[in-house]
Amino acid sequence: MQGPIGVFVHHNTLHEFESLPFEQAVLDASAIFGAEPYMAEAAYRAELARGRIRMEDVEAVLAGEPDAPVFPGLTRRSLRKAMMTPGVREFDAATILWRAEQGDLANDFRGKALRSLFDTCLKRVAAPEVEPPAPRPADEIIHPWLIRLCSVFLDQGMTYWPLPNREKGFYESVRKLLAPGGCIFPLYLTGLDKELKRQTDLGFSASDAVLDYLDAHNAGEPEWSEVIEAELLALPGWAGLMRRLEKEPQLAPHIAVPCSLMDFLAVRLTMTRVASREGAGEAGSEESPLKTQERRRLSLAARIYDASRVVSLSADEVARLSGTEWEAFVSEIRACNGLERRRIFQLAYERWHEREILSGLASHRAYRGLHERSGRPAAQVFFCLDEREESMRRALEEVDPEVETFGAAGYFGLAVDYKGIDDAQGAAYCPVVIQPEHAVRERPKAEDRELHRRRRWRRRLMGMLKRSALTSSRTLLRGWVSTAALGVLSGVPLIGHLLAPRRYAQLREWMNKAFLPEPRTELTLMRRTTESHSAVKGLLTGFAAGEKAERVASVLKPAGLARGFARVVVILGHGSTSLNNPHESAHDCGACGGRRGGPNARLFAAMANRAEVRELLRERGVDIPEDTWFVGGYHDTCGDDVELYDLEDVPATHESDVKRIEASLEEARAHNAKERARRFESSPAHASPAMALRHVEERSEHLAEPRPEYGHCTNAVCIVGRRSLTRGLFLDRRAFLTSYDASQDPDDRNLAAVLAAAIPVCAGINLEYYFSFVDNDRYGSGTKLPHNVTGLVGVMDGHASDLRTGLPWQMVEIHEPVRMLFVIETAPERLMHVLDASASLKRLAENRWIRVAAIDPDSGLVHVWRDSGFEEFGQALERLPVVFSSAEWYEGKLEHLPMAWIQAGGGVR
Amino acid sequence: MDFTQVMLVFAVLAPGLVSAAFALAWLAGWVPEERVVSLVTGMTFPASVAALAVVVWRLLSAQTVTVAFGNWFSVRDYHFPMVLLADRLSVVLLGMTVVLVGLIGRFSATYLHREPGFFRFFLLLHLFAFGSLIAFAAGSFELLAGGWEIVGITSVLLIAFFQHRTPPVENALRVFAIYRACDIGLLVGVFAMHHWAGTASFASGLPHLEGSRATTVGLLLLLAAAGKAAQAPFSGWLPRAMEGPTPSSAIFYGAISIHAGAYLLLRAQPMLAQSGLASAMVVMVGLATAVYGTISGRASADAKTLLAFASLTQVGVVFIEIGFGLKWIAVIHILGHATVRTLQFLRSPSMLHDYHQMHAAIGRQEESSGNWIEDLLPARAQLWLYRWALDRGHLDTILDRFVIHSLMRLAKLFARLDRIGLPRTPERREQPVASFGAAARERVG
Repeated sequence: MQGPIGVFVHHNTLHEFESLPFEQAVLDASAIFGAEPYMAEAAYRAELARGRIRMEDVEAVLAGEPDAPVFPGLTRRSLRKAMMTPGVREFDAATILWRAEQGDLANDFRGKALRSLFDTCLKRVAAPEVEPPAPRPADEIIHPWLIRLCSVFLDQGMTYWPLPNREKGFYESVRKLLAPGGCIFPLYLTGLDKELKRQTDLGFSASDAVLDYLDAHNAGEPEWSEVIEAELLALPGWAGLMRRLEKEPQLAPHIAVPCSLMDFLAVRLTMTRVASREGAGEAGSEESPLKTQERRRLSLAARIYDASRVVSLSADEVARLSGTEWEAFVSEIRACNGLERRRIFQLAYERWHEREILSGLASHRAYRGLHERSGRPAAQVFFCLDEREESMRRALEEVDPEVETFGAAGYFGLAVDYKGIDDAQGAAYCPVVIQPEHAVRERPKAEDRELHRRRRWRRRLMGMLKRSALTSSRTLLRGWVSTAALGVLSGVPLIGHLLAPRRYAQLREWMNKAFLPEPRTELTLMRRTTESHSAVKGLLTGFAAGEKAERVASVLKPAGLARGFARVVVILGHGSTSLNNPHESAHDCGACGGRRGGPNARLFAAMANRAEVRELLRERGVDIPEDTWFVGGYHDTCGDDVELYDLEDVPATHESDVKRIEASLEEARAHNAKERARRFESSPAHASPAMALRHVEERSEHLAEPRPEYGHCTNAVCIVGRRSLTRGLFLDRRAFLTSYDASQDPDDRNLAAVLAAAIPVCAGINLEYYFSFVDNDRYGSGTKLPHNVTGLVGVMDGHASDLRTGLPWQMVEIHEPVRMLFVIETAPERLMHVLDASASLKRLAENRWIRVAAIDPDSGLVHVWRDSGFEEFGQALERLPVVFSSAEWYEGKLEHLPMAWIQAGGGVR
Repeated sequence: MDFTQVMLVFAVLAPGLVSAAFALAWLAGWVPEERVVSLVTGMTFPASVAALAVVVWRLLSAQTVTVAFGNWFSVRDYHFPMVLLADRLSVVLLGMTVVLVGLIGRFSATYLHREPGFFRFFLLLHLFAFGSLIAFAAGSFELLAGGWEIVGITSVLLIAFFQHRTPPVENALRVFAIYRACDIGLLVGVFAMHHWAGTASFASGLPHLEGSRATTVGLLLLLAAAGKAAQAPFSGWLPRAMEGPTPSSAIFYGAISIHAGAYLLLRAQPMLAQSGLASAMVVMVGLATAVYGTISGRASADAKTLLAFASLTQVGVVFIEIGFGLKWIAVIHILGHATVRTLQFLRSPSMLHDYHQMHAAIGRQEESSGNWIEDLLPARAQLWLYRWALDRGHLDTILDRFVIHSLMRLAKLFARLDRIGLPRTPERREQPVASFGAAARERVG
């Protein structure tokens, strides 16, 4: 269930199924939602053809599963192997006749042997295939009304005239609206007003209406859940949003509406009831002439024929099979249906990936050794663990090998309710599972207070002007003025946006700066005692010194940074800015709850710079020397902009150090832009870093750009360990990197904390990408092009469809759907211990929603989690290719790239 | 032909030639790559703009620029004259078309990148541009009707752009049906003009009609214009047309196609002025649509429907202006409205962001002003009006129940009549198929 789209948080699309093993869950879900569990078989075959799936992996997967004899001379394994490759075709009732008469089967039948094989199979096939249930005719009739009612009910400010009585709930407001009559309904909905009137007169509540429907339907209690499930799944997007807002009303971006799934159901069932009473069912229930019983029998025969063909059975051999042998043969073939074959392909697909990653890491560890630090680093930079920062970290290390980088969940341990000077209200900047207890406000510095007042006043003026322009152009009389008299003025932004997007954006920014100068600000992070509870939300204002020290330590200690600090430590949050993109928030920081992590980074730096905090940190074993200065910052992953905060507070002694890291970041972001741009078909090949930077900047400002960035697309791995394990390794922006040092974590408590943050966030992102990719139409939201923003809560296709949830095709198109492989740098027993302690993490691993491996910090030995526990990963290690710089490795290539050893970023070994 | 005339012909024909070339390439089995398509599009429209600039320059001194290609064919008294005409009215619409389609082309080259229908979109976009340029530059109502039909068919094909899903195709079919029904007005109008005035050309002044004849022709043209501009009572199709990709919604229903009806009436305006009844009807239709659009728009919660109703409202006002004979105000209104609406449609995915920004800037306390006109009504009437608005004036429901349903029943009746006396056709392949080999052999033998 997805919440309002303005704050997009990635989560496992099949979260509710996590108690089941992955393979079972995807099948169950595909039965319920009518969605695909894996990629199409043709897609796997294409991967097989280009070598991304290897035969040895398919064989290994089959070898790992139980074998059984089918009949003398044929085992399940050999049958399955033949059905995988050379492979069998898929047949369906709708096309079987055509294929037999003119298509590929007709081609087969030119050979006499094959023709008689088919005839023999056909003779022995008795039962036709089961037909899937027919579509529900009532839906087409009730959906236009229901969708419109939902959209005005849930609307967050787009309608000029909100639904009357909506504060009374969906069912009540619909009843009040429609019961009085005087409305022309579609043919099959006539009488809806009378039915609602009847319910009003009987004083029904929503649940009464639902029970009444179930009674009238003669449904026994055991069938209730089935009936209700079918009704809710007919419009899963709208129903899901109702439910989500019922459970978490604070998610509504602007206006809290009293949502209830029961209300929705009551309205829906009432409409269904009227529609079926009016005989909507008659509208189209004829059996499709394309899928008669006989054709279904033919397609089953064709399946058996094809399987017999690939295991080289002759017509005689098939004819000679005894009754039980034939039964066994048919049931084996039916068991190895398309879904099963795709499951095996998927496992083989993932197995190759696992081998590549683990042997690459182990080889890097074995042949290159761990990266060692020499002397004090020039600077240390903390990034979010996000896989998009992997290339940025690598670029920074290549630009300045004396810099050290770290990764941590991008809220940097600070669960806060933050309100910037330009925000209307505070919002939680932390993972969605955490409720912030502390409030932090941005406020202008004392000397800029006047400037701030002026800015606020002007912003309000601009906002009101904008709103009046927006609404007036839609009304009758004011619209005349704004279109006839002032309309042509729109030509300026129209031409600016389309012909010179980057220049136009610069112009706008310049005008903004001139008209709305920004005051210098500070954060209200101080709190002396526990007394200052805010009156509004029961939030504590700011942090007491002890709390600050605790938060700072919670990030630095697990990362293994307790001593050996550089003179400058930069904390970089991240987010993404793009134009004309309803899914913009999906590119923001997941660890900040789908928001931009700048404030968290700024706050962290401010805390770590306080003397009293450092004092307390020393007691906790984190020794920050006097001459270390923390700087907060923000990295925009779309335009690759880097901004450092509060530079005016940097002590004079540190200015040159900060200048150096600023310059390095400036250069690194251009390299990062270049590496990102290699994936965009429309970016110029072989561009210089500066050109690439201009290209990505233009992307983030382009009105017509449906893929401003590829976001988390291609994510596949999460490495929890020291940077020395991965430094100098080209990971192709596909690996989440969390810093963790097992040697400083004797009781594994840090590991537990790191995994508790990293696994749910990374797995959620990965699984959402998996499902949105394998079935972009049902789990994802399809192509962005017809998307239509509705009620500020979501998007529809065209003017009336279900709310489209999940990720659009443009966001996932280059994804490789593999389950995330977590590689954790610790001993397998220790990892086992940590997983055992957490029911939710254990469940994810045991049910194979994620893949887990451990790499020993001392020996470098790799163990992989299989069903029963950790097994040693025994693969011969090959040396990785060596190149000087990342660019040398990726230049001019569009596809996924294997690992390589990058000398420039490797630092001293 | 002098230079200006060549430029006029070039401006009109260029997109037509491009679409013809694209179509031929496609028939020959070659689908040009994205880069080629973008490049060609990026050259065509700036060239057309430049060519039109020459025409505009001439029109600063001359009244009209006409290019006569003679008659396409003539049958006794009837001639089909091929005349292109640029005067101060048509040149405004021609200019608007090439500039806006050019901008949309630029937008779409990025927006549709990697979309499987990329080529198809541009083929149709060029064809559409050609159709509307023909319609706006036509010197006779016949030629105008030709362009008009091209605009109609490309509009329908782009609504059904996502042809693998059912709703776009269903909605496109519905729009097509309404276009066809209303285009009868234009065709019969042309016949009537020929019948009564002997010509439907307006290159040298409108055909002269008076009295009831002017009224009849005026009303027929109004029917055509109202269908194309989604005026009441045909307005129901406009929200349905929002199934296509955003740039096609913008160019068709924000900018060009939606104003084609208004242009037709502007052309015929002197004739309308002859007939008080026809003028009054134009005003009535415009007024009804404007009120309808603004009320229905108030109860719409999605970006594209909101904009569709906003467009309707203003086009309704344009009709009113035409009805009152305020020709130049109408032209300026069309120009301004097309620009605003194109930008708004293109920016419609930003609405989330815009509202959030405004909200943050204004602050919560001033959220809703509450001074809606609706509040003046008594509570019961408010609910009635809301129902009416939410179901878009029940226009589609009425059409479904009282027109389409009856037509379908009639069709079924005819189908049954048609079968009288025929033996019941046996269902093909009812009996089990025993052997495919045998079936194939029979076929060969």
